[in-house]
Parts: sequence; structure tokens; C-alpha cells
Amino acid sequence: MSYAYLFKYIIIGDTGVGKSCLLLQFTDKRFQPVHDLTIGVEFGARMITIDNKPIKLQIWDTAGQESFRSITRSYYRGAAGALLVYDITRRETFNHLASWLEDARQHANANMTIMLIGNKSDLAHRRAVSTEEGEQFAKEHGLIFMEASAKTAQNVEEAFISTAATIYKKIQDGVFDVSNESYGIKVGYGGIPGPSGGRDGSASQGGGCCS
Amino acid sequence: MHETELNDLSDDADYAASLQQGSASMTRSDSSRRSSSSEPDGAEVVYLKDNVTIHPTQYASERISGRLKLIKQGASLFMTWIPYKGQSSNARLSERDKNLYTIRAVPFTEIRSIRRHTPTLGWQYIIVVLSSGLAFPPLYFYNGGVREFLATIKQHIFLVRSADDANVFVVNDFQDPLQRTLSSLELPRAVPVANGLSSSLSASESPTDKNQVRADGVAVDGSLSSIQNNGRQRQKMHDPARDLSIHVLEKFSLVTRFARETTSQLFRENHSEGFGANERRNHSQSSHDYRQNAASIDVEKVPHEVPVAPDPLEKSPRSNRGEAAATNVGTFELIDSKEIDKLTVWGKPRQPPLGPEEWATFLDSEGRVTDEKALRKRIFYGGVEHNLRKEVWTFLLGYHAHDSTYAEKEYLVSIKKSEYETIKNQWQSISQDQARRFTKFRERRGLIEKDVVRTDRSLSFYEGDDNPNVNLMRDILLTYSFYNFDLGYCQGMSDLLSPILFIMKDESESFWCFVSLMERLGPNFNRDQNGMHSQLFALSKLVELLDVPLHNYFKQNDCLNYFFCFRWILIQFKREFEYERTLRLWEVLWTHHLSEHLHLYVCVAILKRYRRKIMGEQMDFDTLLKFINELSGQIDLDAILKDAEALCICAGEHGAASIPPGTPPSLPLDTGLLYTQQDDEVL
Repeated sequence: MSYAYLFKYIIIGDTGVGKSCLLLQFTDKRFQPVHDLTIGVEFGARMITIDNKPIKLQIWDTAGQESFRSITRSYYRGAAGALLVYDITRRETFNHLASWLEDARQHANANMTIMLIGNKSDLAHRRAVSTEEGEQFAKEHGLIFMEASAKTAQNVEEAFISTAATIYKKIQDGVFDVSNESYGIKVGYGGIPGPSGGRDGSASQGGGCCS
Repeated sequence: MHETELNDLSDDADYAASLQQGSASMTRSDSSRRSSSSEPDGAEVVYLKDNVTIHPTQYASERISGRLKLIKQGASLFMTWIPYKGQSSNARLSERDKNLYTIRAVPFTEIRSIRRHTPTLGWQYIIVVLSSGLAFPPLYFYNGGVREFLATIKQHIFLVRSADDANVFVVNDFQDPLQRTLSSLELPRAVPVANGLSSSLSASESPTDKNQVRADGVAVDGSLSSIQNNGRQRQKMHDPARDLSIHVLEKFSLVTRFARETTSQLFRENHSEGFGANERRNHSQSSHDYRQNAASIDVEKVPHEVPVAPDPLEKSPRSNRGEAAATNVGTFELIDSKEIDKLTVWGKPRQPPLGPEEWATFLDSEGRVTDEKALRKRIFYGGVEHNLRKEVWTFLLGYHAHDSTYAEKEYLVSIKKSEYETIKNQWQSISQDQARRFTKFRERRGLIEKDVVRTDRSLSFYEGDDNPNVNLMRDILLTYSFYNFDLGYCQGMSDLLSPILFIMKDESESFWCFVSLMERLGPNFNRDQNGMHSQLFALSKLVELLDVPLHNYFKQNDCLNYFFCFRWILIQFKREFEYERTLRLWEVLWTHHLSEHLHLYVCVAILKRYRRKIMGEQMDFDTLLKFINELSGQIDLDAILKDAEALCICAGEHGAASIPPGTPPSLPLDTGLLYTQQDDEVL
């Protein structure tokens, strides 16, 4: 499928905060409480539309355990967006945010857009981190913030899409040099007017007569 | 000393003479020899040399002399070397040994190169390297005739001197335009010299040009040298790795005896299974199809694929030309196809799993394994039947010693059961009140509880709410984190435990088998990841040894950390295969037959299988990681195990030397502090 841009996302955060569930809810629109824990990294992708432009999100869902930090760091390379996830019912996952952020700042592109997500908002009765605390942390560190629920799908679309919208705006504002893929953005064919008429991949066969 | 004549064969007296005789009388062997030969109809002996000898050992008494022949049938050229029968001086050599070395009608389509050695003292000899990458033992020409041998070959097939080593002659066999065209499409890298020729000629070529093209190879009109010089330049430009690989492969000829031995043994064992020429051809065909499919299915592929450097060990010259060659074999096929199969040294077919009756033959009356090595080898080639796994795995994992009796095992089981209960009790006795002031314990337990409900829950053994097996897994992992408090718990351990519990069923038995496994794989889970890094490093060394172009590709693309193989190694391919296939793979790996590190050769085998795609599409780190991830469920285990075995044999001691001592799953070098203490911060 053709796209105007491809954005690379990375989902980070402690183990068990619901990173894989958020991804699955976003790509497949379903909640699967029983799934295998993530070893290394898993991938997901979905097309969205921003400003009438088709944009493909390629999402890297990483393993959360501390032991795997050294390998997770190699995944930051070339990510345009990051979803930093904590679990509102487990205080320690919130306490570890600073450490995740430090990793992201150190190993990712400085212009990477980071969205802070307080997941499991459906479990408000077991809440251990208030919405205000989340907001406060985001404000202090210049992040976008949302509480979401991978289970009920509340705010899941919004989280992924508003991150993309922010990245898109940065492109419009000229923050990124989109020809440099280390920013985590690839320019596609569709949607961008070009000499080939925006066809994907078949340009080399066009023009000639068929045999 | 041969500096001047090394440049080309056209100044070779024998060669020139044989040319002048013309093709009808190309053979220098006399007519009586020819007519007395037992070759099938249409086959012509074009070269015959007696007293060509191999030296299997350093003992003169163990040399085997025989007759070397070149046989032409239709458009194909074959080489045979048959040892003489009934030499009394060779009493120590059995007929079986001789058969082992017999070269029966190997087509030149399966030969990659010939190196000649002309020492100033002693006999001249040649080493024939097959396109599979393996080599025949050196053939010593006691009566001389190496030059004539090469000249005769050159009259019939395309043979060029290597640009980098004047004593290496690279073979390619392009008798017909179809093959030549195929070759230029499929094998731009196999023999760049020939490719240079064929790509310039094949476009305008019709079958009637055949003779003309062939004539180019043997022409004496002066155009030959210019073509060849041109070819040499191309070769240098296009493919510096090729001749390097020839040198590397010759080093591997040391292992050829072993490889051939196992192969011919295999041939005997599997004779009835009829792994014959047809099947082989089908296989060749399907792998060919696969390549094309693989190239066409990818959606986001790069429009123009980049030419890919050849696999130094690749067998594709044969798989691409195998069909034509087999067809050309004609009547030979009927007579000798099985013999040709005997030369297929690339991996052995898998065997059926070890069953109860056969298992019993490995045990003495008291339950000891009598021949541990033979048993491990047997399991290496076929695995174990499911119902037998509970018993055999305890032995493979080292929980039970191979020489322990039924009674000893029973005793150990009861001792270990109470030992397990003791350790388990350590955490079970922690009261809720105590746990409140024991953060580390709470975190560890929380982590394990989160992970056991995310491990193989689609398997009926673990599915459903409040599944007792899930609880068992939790208890075992928590007990292990007390048994090995320094290592604690790390994600991935539940993946390793799951199949063990699934097989053993029993809690204590599973625990101790898991403990045995973790003695080898524990370093995979160290906080500093040193066990993983040493394996990834060893993997990079093995790829460097076994596939230089691929190694260079990874180097250029900043992929040498091999992180894309992380999951494969961390949990022993558990996520790459279906559950049952994983069990099979694990028991094969646990035999440690051939190598403790077969899993690394499995990695190399998988990478090599997809090397063309990886390099052709110029995958960067991200794309490669995604590609490798998505191979999950796509890998044919038996085929990969065969390849891994062959690679392991090929690499031989060079391979072993690439793996630093103490690399998991080797047992740790020092028995002191096994694990750096884990900081249990749960992130």
C-alpha cells in the first residue's frame, strides 16, 4: 500500500504495563489478555491518515525487562516517535519513567516525539498513580500525555495518531530533513505528487510496451 | 619455476598435440583400451591414467592406487577414479575403505575447481574441489600426466585458470546455450569469467553457435588469450572473494574423509528409502523455485535487486544445473545414479526418531546407557519419540548420569525431591507480613506471576484459568530464583521451562532438569548479557569463516552485533518453530554431537538460506531485524539441521576455534562465582 510517509515508532516501558496490548489494540482493534511475553522485539504496522495524507506507522514493541535494556537501546536508532508506557495501577512502573526517558534521550534522535501513556485506565479503582501526576511528569519533560486503556480501547487510537500528527507537524515546520532516514521517517510514493504519478514499485515497468 | 608456461595451457605441448588430432581422436588412450572399457553406450573414455594414488594416511602401506579416467557422454564430461582390486600389499585396507574413496562418475557440473601441485620433489598431485565445497583427497600421479589431464578437460568443458593462483583451475560446464543462459541469469557470481563470456554471447546465440562458443574455449587463433585476459580482469573486479574461498575450502579437504565416510554410511543405511536422483532433482527444482518465489513475494521490495556475492560454500551451481546434468547423464543415470548420490556430501537426511525398542538396545539390564556416544549420535540424527522423551531427556540434560542404574536413578529422584521441597519451602514460608518488608521477593514473585500467564497459553497443557500447570511453572521458577538467587529470574526462562514441564509433568523432576539446562544457558540471562554477547560474537566469527561476502555485508551495514539473532539464541529458537518442532530441535542440540554449539551453526544455516534475499534487497539493520523476526514459523527444521551439520563439519577445527572457550552452552570455565549478582530492580 502506498504512503506519503512512513514513521518508525518504538514502544517502551516496564514489563507488564501493556505495551503489546496497546499495539494489538491499535493494529487489530482487539484486546488479547493471553499472549506470549515479548522477547527482543515484535513489530506491528498500520496505515493512518493525517491531513489527507496516508501515513504508515511501523511500530516496534520492545521487551521491558531491565536485562534487555542493552539490546533495546539498539532499537531506538531511527525512531521518529516513542510511546513511553506505565501502568496506573503499579506505582513502580511510574517511578521508572525517568530511567526510560534517559535511555530514550541518550539513544534516540533528539527530535523524537515522545508520548507518555498511563495505561489500564479501565482499572481506575486500583489506581496508584493519579492523572495529575502523569500530567505533571509529562509537562516537566516536554512529553505529550494521555491515559489510555488497551482493554477498552479508550484513547488508543488517539495516542498513536496524535503522536503522528505531532511528527507530521514537525515535518511541515522543517524540523526534520526527511531525506535523512535517521529521523525515522521515510518518504513514500503515494500522496506526494511526483513525476511517476505516485505508483509504488511499478515505475520501472511503465512506459514500455508489453511483450 | 613454471612462470612462463603458467599463463595459459595453449603453450602446452600435449595440449597442442591433442588439439591437432581433432576431436574424433581426442583420446590418447589406444583403441584396445577404449574398446575394452565397460562404459555404457555412447560413453567415450577421453583420458585414462594408471597408478593415480591417494594417501589416506601417512603410511605407505595404506596408499590406494587406481585408475583415473575422464569419460565423455553426450555433452557431459565425467571423472572417475576406481581403485585396483585385490592388491595384497594393501591388506590393512578393507574393500570398504576402498569403496569409500572410489570416485564414480562425478560430472564436471559438480566440480568447482582443480588445484594442481607440482612439488620439485615427489609426485605431482591434484585436489578436486566440488561445488558443494568439499574436496576429494589429493590424487597423486605416480606416472605423471597432470598437465595432460587438465588439457584434456579443457578440450571438453570450460576451464580457466584462476586469476589469483595460476595453479587453480576453475571449472564451469556450459555445453548448451540454455545452461549458459541460465547461468548468466542465476549465477552471475559462480564463475565470473564464464559469465563475462556468456552474457556477451548468450543474447545473440542460437543452438548452432554452440560449436563456435565451445571453440572459443579451445581456440588457437589468438583470440583465446584476449578473451581470457578480459575474463581475468572481470574476475578480479567482480569477485575477489571467490579465489579466497577456494583456498579456504581446500583447507576443508581435511574433513572430506569424514564427510564421505558418513555419507557412504548413510547411503547404506538409507538405501531402502530411495533418496535417489529423482528426489534430489525435485529438491533442486524446488529450491530453485523457492528462490524465485522468495524474490517475488515481498511487497515492499527494492525494485532493482543488487547482484549478490556468491556463497563460498554454495551448492547452487549444482542445483541450478543439476537437472540438465542429470538428463545428460543418460544411460549413466541408470547405472550410476546411486553412486553419484554417494558423492552428495552436503548434509544427511534425517532419521526417524528413536523408539522404545531401539532405546532398549542402548541399555544394559540394569538401565545403564552402554554406549553414550552412539546414543547421542543416534538422537542427533533423528530425535526421540515423544513418549520416550521423559526418560531420555533426563539423560540428555545431565540430570541422570548415563552410567547410573535404574535403582540409582530412583534413589536420586527421591533425594532430589526432598531437596526441591526444602528450597521451595524457603519462599513458601515467607508470610504475607514478612513479604511486605521484602521488596525484592515481592518484585520477583510479581514478575514471575506476570510471565507464567504469558507463556504458551495457547497450548492445551497451559490454557485456561487457574491451570495447575501454570501454577507449577510459577512455583518452579520462584524456587529456581531461590536456588540460584544471584541469577534470579529473567524473562525467557519461562520459555525454557515450559517444554521441560510439558514433558516431565512432575514438579521436582522438571525443576532439576531445568537446573541442568540452566547450568549451560544461565549466562544467557546475566544482567550484563555476557553470555549472549559471547554467543553473538562467536556467531559473527562463524559467518566470517563460512560466508565471507555475507560477513562483509553485515559489516558494511553496521549489523555485526547480530542483535537480529538475539531471540534465536536467548531461548534456543523456541519462538521460531512450532512447539513439537522445538522439542525436536532441543533434543538434537542437547546431544552435543559434533559440537556443543550446533545452535550457532543453525543460525548460520538459516542466514545462509536467506543470504541472497538479505543482500539482494540491501536490508539495513531495521529491515533485517524485522525480516528475521518474521521468519518465525517459516523455517524448515530438518533442512536447516542438515545444513547446520554440514556447516559444522565444513568448519571443522576452524569453526571450533572461532568459538571462545566458555561460550554457552559450554559449562562455565570457572566454578567460582557463576553469576554476577543481579540488581533486582524490576524495570
